Amino acid sequence: MLQLEPNNRYLATTLPLLFAAPKPSSVDQAFVDFDSIRYHLWTPDPKNKAVLLLSMDVRCWSDLSQHGAMDLMRREYGDYLVQDDETEAEYSVTLKIHIDQLPAGEEERAEIVSKLSLLKRNALAAPFEKAFGIQKHLEANPRGEDDVVRKEDVMSVHYRPEEALYILPSSDRVTIVFSTIFKEETDRIFGKVFLQEFVDARRRPSCQTAPQVLYTNREPPLEIRDIPGLGAGLERGENVGYVTFVLFPRHFATPALAAESITQIQLFRDYLHYHIKCSKAYMHSRMRTRVAEFLKVLNRAKPDVAAGEGARKTASGRSFVRA
Amino acid sequence: MSNTLRPYLACVRSSLTAALTLENFPSQVSERHNVAEIEAQSTPEVLLTPLLISRNASEQVLIEPSINSVRLSIKIKQADEIERILAHKFTRFLMMRAEAFVILRRVPVKGYDISFLVTNKNVEDMMKHKLVDFVIQFMEDVDRELSEAKLSLNARARIVAESYLSQFA
Repeated sequence: MLQLEPNNRYLATTLPLLFAAPKPSSVDQAFVDFDSIRYHLWTPDPKNKAVLLLSMDVRCWSDLSQHGAMDLMRREYGDYLVQDDETEAEYSVTLKIHIDQLPAGEEERAEIVSKLSLLKRNALAAPFEKAFGIQKHLEANPRGEDDVVRKEDVMSVHYRPEEALYILPSSDRVTIVFSTIFKEETDRIFGKVFLQEFVDARRRPSCQTAPQVLYTNREPPLEIRDIPGLGAGLERGENVGYVTFVLFPRHFATPALAAESITQIQLFRDYLHYHIKCSKAYMHSRMRTRVAEFLKVLNRAKPDVAAGEGARKTASGRSFVRA
Repeated sequence: MSNTLRPYLACVRSSLTAALTLENFPSQVSERHNVAEIEAQSTPEVLLTPLLISRNASEQVLIEPSINSVRLSIKIKQADEIERILAHKFTRFLMMRAEAFVILRRVPVKGYDISFLVTNKNVEDMMKHKLVDFVIQFMEDVDRELSEAKLSLNARARIVAESYLSQFA
């Protein structure tokens, strides 16, 4: 599996089953997704099993709601979204779905299911959309000589305990900086190889129009280092890596392109670490086969002890086995 | 580069064949005990001169013979970080399975990547020329394995990067 899926597989398979069941049944499931996101899917009211509650807890909800996540939720999920005071305790956002009030058509239902399973993607898309908006605004009204990125424009999302992503819009591009931690030294070296390839991929014909990727180890890149207030709080150290993506307007020119770009960028960190782990596992299986081969060669060195030879006879006829 | 490989391996082969002339030697220190003298180092007179065969500064083989055992240590070529990590993982993998290999040492000699210990008992059980064949083939295979692993890692990285970035176009 080369690419990670942006939608939640569990939701995508369970919801159609729930929707299609002739009689609504009670359900209570808690499950997780990448980046410590928790879901809770359940029927709160045992008397009315057609009301389904889907709650999601996002670690960085405070960052996201600052950048307009609630508006995006309202836009995408409109009627399903519940009011703030009705949101389930310890969760960030709750959707209420009435199974009996769903449209009857197959296609419409499938669309609703796919929208619901993209809940995580939509929540994290808020800062990106805001950045694209700011960029378009800056393009139309350029700031002039000092086109320096201001602190207010930088959006930071701390989606993992020690890792964050920073979005910096400017007049002709949007720069996205990921900070990522490599817990093991092997991971770090593999990560360096992978990221070097990302940087070099632009030379290849199929990736000519792809965004530019830059990579620094240990020190945060210049773009965010100098921003007052932000620069001091950045992680530094041996196993910290910073990856910078530069998105040009052509990557988000139309809403469809923008949505695609957002979906892809969000999954970058998980994609990278997933492939690092995969290659480590591959190395392991390679080594195991190689070791088995060595053993075979070594066993060739052991001469076969034929039964007749093993037991020898002396001149007087007694037989013995040489120890 | 490979024009030094054949002479290097030939030299290791002949030195090893000469060093593997082992005989039983009961310990002079403790009664009724039989130890590998190169490991115990208890009687200096049975330890023979160690021999170092270098292809270059980063590829060396140390042969330490004694009357009843021979210790062979190999230093594998590791040019960059990736090769260092791969070599370290590979040798660690092998050394954890040392029991299955019989002649492999669980810990390498200081300054080297992997060590073998061959005793007179091993030489009696196994055919000497086949044993030497094994060591030589091992040295060739390890280098080949490392370069193949590095190539496959680079190829994988290239595919991963390309498939990710081509989605943006």
